[in-house]
Amino acid sequence: MRLRLVDSRPLSKGPSSSGAVNMGIDEALLGSVSSGESPPSLRLYRWSPPCVTVGYFQSLDAEIDLDACHAAGVDVVRRLTGGGAVFHDAEITYSLVVPLGHELAPEDILESYRLICSGLVVGLRLLGVESSFEPINDIAASGKKISGNAQTRRQGCLLQHGTVLLALNPELMFSLLRVPAEKLKGKLIEDVKARVTSLSSILGREVAFEEAGEALKKGFSAAWGAELQPGPLTRTEAAEAQRFATERFSSREWNHRR
Amino acid sequence: MIARHDYKIPGGKLLRVEVEVESGVVLRAIVRGDFFAHPEEAFEAAEADLTGLPVDRLGDAALSLFSKPPLKLFGATPADIAQVLTETAHAAQAR
Repeated sequence: MRLRLVDSRPLSKGPSSSGAVNMGIDEALLGSVSSGESPPSLRLYRWSPPCVTVGYFQSLDAEIDLDACHAAGVDVVRRLTGGGAVFHDAEITYSLVVPLGHELAPEDILESYRLICSGLVVGLRLLGVESSFEPINDIAASGKKISGNAQTRRQGCLLQHGTVLLALNPELMFSLLRVPAEKLKGKLIEDVKARVTSLSSILGREVAFEEAGEALKKGFSAAWGAELQPGPLTRTEAAEAQRFATERFSSREWNHRR
Repeated sequence: MIARHDYKIPGGKLLRVEVEVESGVVLRAIVRGDFFAHPEEAFEAAEADLTGLPVDRLGDAALSLFSKPPLKLFGATPADIAQVLTETAHAAQAR
């Protein structure tokens, strides 16, 4: 199998890795792979500024303290994919777009999560972290979640994106998310510390984006039997990404749709 | 009247349901949460079809609508959704 490894260098205009641009690029890839203009594609990326995303079926207002995000300079955006609210800060994110029927996109949705996540499991092993796929959409190491993943199927393609945590900051995270009651915040922070982990927590050292990225590329390549061929976003993809970023992912209509 | 209800599915996801009821009829029903539904638009179509239903038929209708192919749910079942919708609608009616 051959996959284009999309160069994650920033687009020329505007904030380089804002939430809206990141989601815009993922949607642009859906369009270009769907039309056959581009081959099946994998992308590794980060978020600058940090961003809170919510799942397709969530309400931005119900999940996020928008004033706190604004004050902290944190982006907010609703995803094309289901699942929960995620604070994207010290992490590495991937997205994969392949046509339905591709060997990574069988009809059985859970099976495709398992297949795709196997690349992350191998990548984590290369970093010295043993982990396993935890259906529906998580990967756990030492009994704690280290990666969350979310998939949608549109335009005859599968889009899956997901994250691996490099470090964890639940105090900051809960200052940005809505909690049922302020007095519960302490307990929620403790719960997250008990249930979620990160590469730096497990390895006892800082893990840079680049180091994690190299390991994940090798993991994807080995687990999927894939040859990764680096390639830039096409001019059309870059323009479409910018358009989706502006017209959809920065719009109140989309972000506050539910 | 409007009622809202959050329900954590044991070992699963969080459903956040909002139902508006007037004279025993559902004016609006929204099912939010961190679940997955494929295709997403089929879920929203099923949700829209709840509008106009009598409250006492809401549970059965939701069970059928959210079970209808091609819709597939992960992290919540049609029965979970039907149950929370019914409870929320009854709470809205009682207000």
